[in-house]
Amino acid sequence: MIRSLLPVLLPALLLAGCGEPRFFEQDNPPRLSDWNLFRDDGARLIPREKTLVFAPANPLFTDYAGKLRTMWLPAGAQARLREGELEFPVGSILSKTFYYPTGADGVLLESANHENELDRQQHRMIETRLLVRREDGWHAMAYVWNEQQTEAFLRVAGASVPVSLRRESGIEDFVYFVPNENQCAGCHVTEHPDGSLRPLGAVPDQLAAAIGNSGSGHPAASGNSDAFGEGHSSYLAAMRARGWLAELPSQLPAASWEDSEANLETRAGAYLDIHCGHCHNPDGAADTSALVLDGAHRNTIELGVCKTPVAAGGGAGDLLYSIHPGAPERSILLYRMESSEPDEMMPELGRSLAHTEGIALIRDWIAAMAGDCPAPARAFGAR
Amino acid sequence: MRKQPLFPVQCKLDLIRTRDLPETSNMYTDLRIAVLVPVALTLAACGEPQPQLGFEESLQRQLIEAQPGDVISIPAGTHELTRGLSLNAPGVTIRGAGMDRSILSFRNQIQGAEGLLVSADDFVIEDLAIEDSVGDALKISDSDNVTIRRVRTEWTAGPLETNGAYGIYPVQSSNILIDGSVAIGASDAGIYVGQSTRIIVRNSRAEYNVAGIEIENSTFADVHDNVATNNTGGILVFDLPNLPVQGGRNTRVFNNRIVDNNTANFAPEGNIVATVPAGTGLMVLANDNIEVFGNEFANNDSANMMVVSYHITGLPIDDENYDPFPESIHVHDNSFSGGGAAPDSEPLALLREATGQAVPDIVWDGTMVPGKTAPDVLCMRGNGDADFVNLDAPGGFAAPIFEIGPHDCAGAELPEVSISTEP
Repeated sequence: MIRSLLPVLLPALLLAGCGEPRFFEQDNPPRLSDWNLFRDDGARLIPREKTLVFAPANPLFTDYAGKLRTMWLPAGAQARLREGELEFPVGSILSKTFYYPTGADGVLLESANHENELDRQQHRMIETRLLVRREDGWHAMAYVWNEQQTEAFLRVAGASVPVSLRRESGIEDFVYFVPNENQCAGCHVTEHPDGSLRPLGAVPDQLAAAIGNSGSGHPAASGNSDAFGEGHSSYLAAMRARGWLAELPSQLPAASWEDSEANLETRAGAYLDIHCGHCHNPDGAADTSALVLDGAHRNTIELGVCKTPVAAGGGAGDLLYSIHPGAPERSILLYRMESSEPDEMMPELGRSLAHTEGIALIRDWIAAMAGDCPAPARAFGAR
Repeated sequence: MRKQPLFPVQCKLDLIRTRDLPETSNMYTDLRIAVLVPVALTLAACGEPQPQLGFEESLQRQLIEAQPGDVISIPAGTHELTRGLSLNAPGVTIRGAGMDRSILSFRNQIQGAEGLLVSADDFVIEDLAIEDSVGDALKISDSDNVTIRRVRTEWTAGPLETNGAYGIYPVQSSNILIDGSVAIGASDAGIYVGQSTRIIVRNSRAEYNVAGIEIENSTFADVHDNVATNNTGGILVFDLPNLPVQGGRNTRVFNNRIVDNNTANFAPEGNIVATVPAGTGLMVLANDNIEVFGNEFANNDSANMMVVSYHITGLPIDDENYDPFPESIHVHDNSFSGGGAAPDSEPLALLREATGQAVPDIVWDGTMVPGKTAPDVLCMRGNGDADFVNLDAPGGFAAPIFEIGPHDCAGAELPEVSISTEP
């Protein structure tokens, strides 16, 4: 009897007094607040002091939402680097809160800055996603914020949230999709289908990003840096300072598609890697297409150069090749980035809007590519 | 703005368990409206943490939380869905009340590239329909032991380029049974099995698709007792380059009715099936070890049957591991009638003009690996008065050969395909 009550009682006891996040080792509680990841003074959502606010070197586009990311490891536990992968201890919690700044008229705005806390007067929170490291691996879930912005509730099957967003071109109305738990796995299980769920942002080369680097908009190592007296060079260094890493690995940051110093090839590769590589890798869910966009660029046909589509259907856009060098307007890759039709657009998940800046980058890259594709003779063709 | 404490201390921890799931609503609900209403906002009170889920959210949640052995029932009725459904849990059965009674309608779909996306072993789906998905209707990838029984996939507005690509679509899977199913209106293939092994497609009907039934880059398939009619091409057995699984071989196509596949090609350009001429009965492309017997071919107006190499597509090949040539194709004891009267293909149309006759029942493009002979590619016996042409594609179609004699040979009879769910 007492045994059976333990799982319920233990977290309940922890609830009582402290400002620590709370780890649930088995079930997902119904409210975000149950995790105690944030302090809330009514006006602002503030990450708990012991969490680390971070931003990856090479960020993913999500409908121009801002993202407040936190990392927390249980007291005394450490992450380990093994074969280039960061292994988090059981009890680790990663969170990502998606939000939009609010304009004067209540219309939402594109997010330009990384925030270390969210002022409710100036932001609308949409969802908070968690990755929780349990005994049997990572678990993903999404909590959706209520209208009053007072609480976020677990939505196993995701949610559809209507959003009006002010953009340069005017106000755009769209449906923001909170992923269901299978869709979480759709990106976070990179070895399809038997691999395990893993973080995509909290990985060594992403966390090697310089903190407070002007231009990239990375938050200074969170509002809690004072407590640790730190002004660290990278998030890995900030983790080391918290005792979350035994030693600081020598790790170059991932190339970033936003890095205006880098060349076109590098930026385009970084863009495709973070937006496509989780499925379009040799073991990924999209390996059925044989299109590999994980930044490795093994050979040109895998990258899509003069590659005919396999099962793209309407996604082929009446075009013949994934990438037609020098001809972005004849390249399926760009067509699918520009489309917002659910059966055509790429990535399939994570956006409802087209990403203007990403499209411009890939267009420039294809336009600068040398070579040509043969015009098929279509001897037997119906048309 | 109303302020509420984020940590109301009186709240119990209401952990979520499967048994707390609300009953699936049997009622028709307009989910397009329902899901857009932020359900959670009424839930601030502690005692009732769970939103009242509509059919769509409830079904998706059942699919996520399903355990091996679970049967998820789809009640009779038309259920409108706005987002693609997905299942990753093994050992699950999805069961409706009949392919004309339990209908998952995606006509208002706004997210997801499929109607239902499955990646799960020991999967059974039966007695339901998936209609009007924006992309593929039922995609099953990386799964072993897949049974699709009496399932209908359909685009209800007829053959349109804007229809989804595939109806029933297992890929990179094994031990697949498709039985008693119906596929209508796919802008690529109605029933498409790709990069898979150990496959049975039987007792099914494919109509008004670009390809009725397509077996692609797959091995050990039995396609039998199906009806393929009013497609652009009735049945296609293809092997394509630059795919992680290739070397398509060992397919038997038998006892099918392959008739009147004359619907104009409505596949989006760029896709391989967009090159299939309207009026194709059966096309074997670059596959090896194919046995075709006991079929009824009739009135396929380009040609009742074609055997071709990948070169016929005119597309470049950049894959050193790929074999573009068909070999060991055995065609015997079929019946042929009509067909070839209005070919939708330049070389076939020129042939028709030159001869003043309908295109012969069986067409071979004439390409083969140097050193091979005609019987290495194609053996034919017992096909009644079926006529034949070797198009001489390598010679620019200049000297077609009509003699069937060189192909009068006893080809191999392939063993029956067995799958683990039907030992």
